Amino acid sequence: MSTVEVEPYRPRLVSTRLLRSELRIIFGRARNIAGFGVLASVPIIVAIALALAGSPEAGEGPPFLSQVTSNGLFLALAALGAELPLFLPLAVAAISGDAIAGEANIGTLRYLLTVPVQRTRLLAVKYAAIAIFATAMVLLVATVGVVLGLALFGTGPVTLLSGTQVGTAEGLWRLLLVCGYLSACLAAFGAVGLFVSTLTEQPIGATIAVVGLAVVSQILGVMPSLSAIHEYLPTHYWLAFGDLLRDPISTDQVSRGLLSAAVYALIFWTAAWARFGGKDVTS
Amino acid sequence: MSALSTRPALRWVVPVAAAAMVLTAGIAGRAIVADADPALPPRSAAELLVDLQTSAVTGLSGTVVQRAALGLPELPVSIGGQGSAEFSALVSGTHTLRVWYGGEERQRIALLGTLGESDLIRNGDDVWTWSSASNEVSHLVLPEQPEPPQPLPADLPTTPQEAAELALAAIEPSTRVSTDGTATVAGRAAYELVLRPRDTGSLVAQVRIAVDAEEQVPLRVRVYAEGVTEPAVEIGFSQISFEMPGDEHFEFRPPRDAVVTEVSSDDPLAEELATEASEPTVVGSGWTAVLVAAAPASDPPAGDPDPDSEALDVLLQALPRVSGDWGSGYLLESALVSVLITDDGRLLAGAVNPERLYDVAAS
Repeated sequence: MSTVEVEPYRPRLVSTRLLRSELRIIFGRARNIAGFGVLASVPIIVAIALALAGSPEAGEGPPFLSQVTSNGLFLALAALGAELPLFLPLAVAAISGDAIAGEANIGTLRYLLTVPVQRTRLLAVKYAAIAIFATAMVLLVATVGVVLGLALFGTGPVTLLSGTQVGTAEGLWRLLLVCGYLSACLAAFGAVGLFVSTLTEQPIGATIAVVGLAVVSQILGVMPSLSAIHEYLPTHYWLAFGDLLRDPISTDQVSRGLLSAAVYALIFWTAAWARFGGKDVTS
Repeated sequence: MSALSTRPALRWVVPVAAAAMVLTAGIAGRAIVADADPALPPRSAAELLVDLQTSAVTGLSGTVVQRAALGLPELPVSIGGQGSAEFSALVSGTHTLRVWYGGEERQRIALLGTLGESDLIRNGDDVWTWSSASNEVSHLVLPEQPEPPQPLPADLPTTPQEAAELALAAIEPSTRVSTDGTATVAGRAAYELVLRPRDTGSLVAQVRIAVDAEEQVPLRVRVYAEGVTEPAVEIGFSQISFEMPGDEHFEFRPPRDAVVTEVSSDDPLAEELATEASEPTVVGSGWTAVLVAAAPASDPPAGDPDPDSEALDVLLQALPRVSGDWGSGYLLESALVSVLITDDGRLLAGAVNPERLYDVAAS
């Protein structure tokens, strides 16, 4: 005699299906691929300009640029430094601003909510996808920079900000730390975008608002008379990635930056949850 | 969950609570750091003065934060502001330095800027400076210095008490010395030693020195200006360790592609630089000493407009004009420093009120 046990339907606690589908959409969209192309073009343009026109004198031009020709690794740092004020936050704003408002705008949000998935989980998946996207774009810029820089300018000892020279392996490790730190900062900024995205059905409006926030925050960040509020600005600790290039690494500002990122992510994700969970979805 | 689905507004409690929690944690953390006055056995001002002189720290490393709020007019950006990694920028804003101290002959100071760093390293007879922004290194080999024979003072203090009285007697005529409770600096318990100038012409109201209770080194110095509650200048450790730093911090090898300038201490250039600017003289002594020097020439040589002197010109024009029976000139007043640039080409500066400068200018 045999018994047939019927398992009651229980949704799996951890399922990556929704996340995988979300990532397929983000990384498969033509406009996002074009965006990746724009991000990757910066190290390419910088490399071509340096190869044709020579490197600027030390002490002139943006940080790290004058060192690119002596070590290709610096192309990645110069490109990240150049894209950090606008391009990288713009890309995060485009993706995070689109997360909910974009679905609402093209009328797919209500269908998405008919799948047996809780809204909380949907929001968590949306945010995970934003964080993965932020990491992917930072790594893309760095990888293009490293590959192109090493191919065009070769390798050599890497001069850290403290004047110490380290080998290429140590230099790559420091670059990886920088990428990790910037990804965390940008992912936290993506939580702000996710929240704004739940407020509207116009993804472009959400994106513009979030980019505006990044720019205003950076403008406020350079005004000496507002130094009292500087450390609370979302962009304040972004440039602390330079501390990872000292010898020894200075962790003070970087750990504050990670704490600030965690606080921003927590507050704005829960705010997005509060807004989205109680929202009447009509479109 | 049911309460949340019937009353969606309740959900906002979560982000608001999260924000409130973070804010409270931040404020409470700061309040604890600021208010915790450690309980220490009482120690007199004289004893603290001796402690400062006899402290025997062999090695330390840490992070120093320097703040200057001198109330100076906003400086042009090129002179340096926040985040600049040039040592000349230290006159304004907030700056972070990392220091390593390994005895008399081994020191390293690193001024941290945004994506930049300037270092000053002494290792034995070698002195190096490094600037990451300009990729420049300068190297100076200190000349061999024969140990100067230490003249033995005839009346060497024999007890700490005697030493304390001597130290106090040395500065008492110009300064009121007192203690004012305790403080916590860089997580360490410290005594607060307070120095107040007796001369009313001084702009300095008081200088507070936090002396580490255990190692007896100054952890923080705050300079207060007359009538201002916030310190005009503050320099103090935000983190400190009294372990001997490793040798690697003092060894400096110039990067291969850096521009290295060898500076010799008996370089004719160095001598020329030293004699070119006319030797400043100091009038008075102690807190109200006034420095008198030749004012920097504001007219650049024709055909060679120097951006620095142009900036100086602009700055000068913005200053109020003053005149008196001593002549006339421009006066720069700040919380802690007054500078008078007279039309006959003298520069007078000191931590004194303008009247004192006029007196010196007239004499």
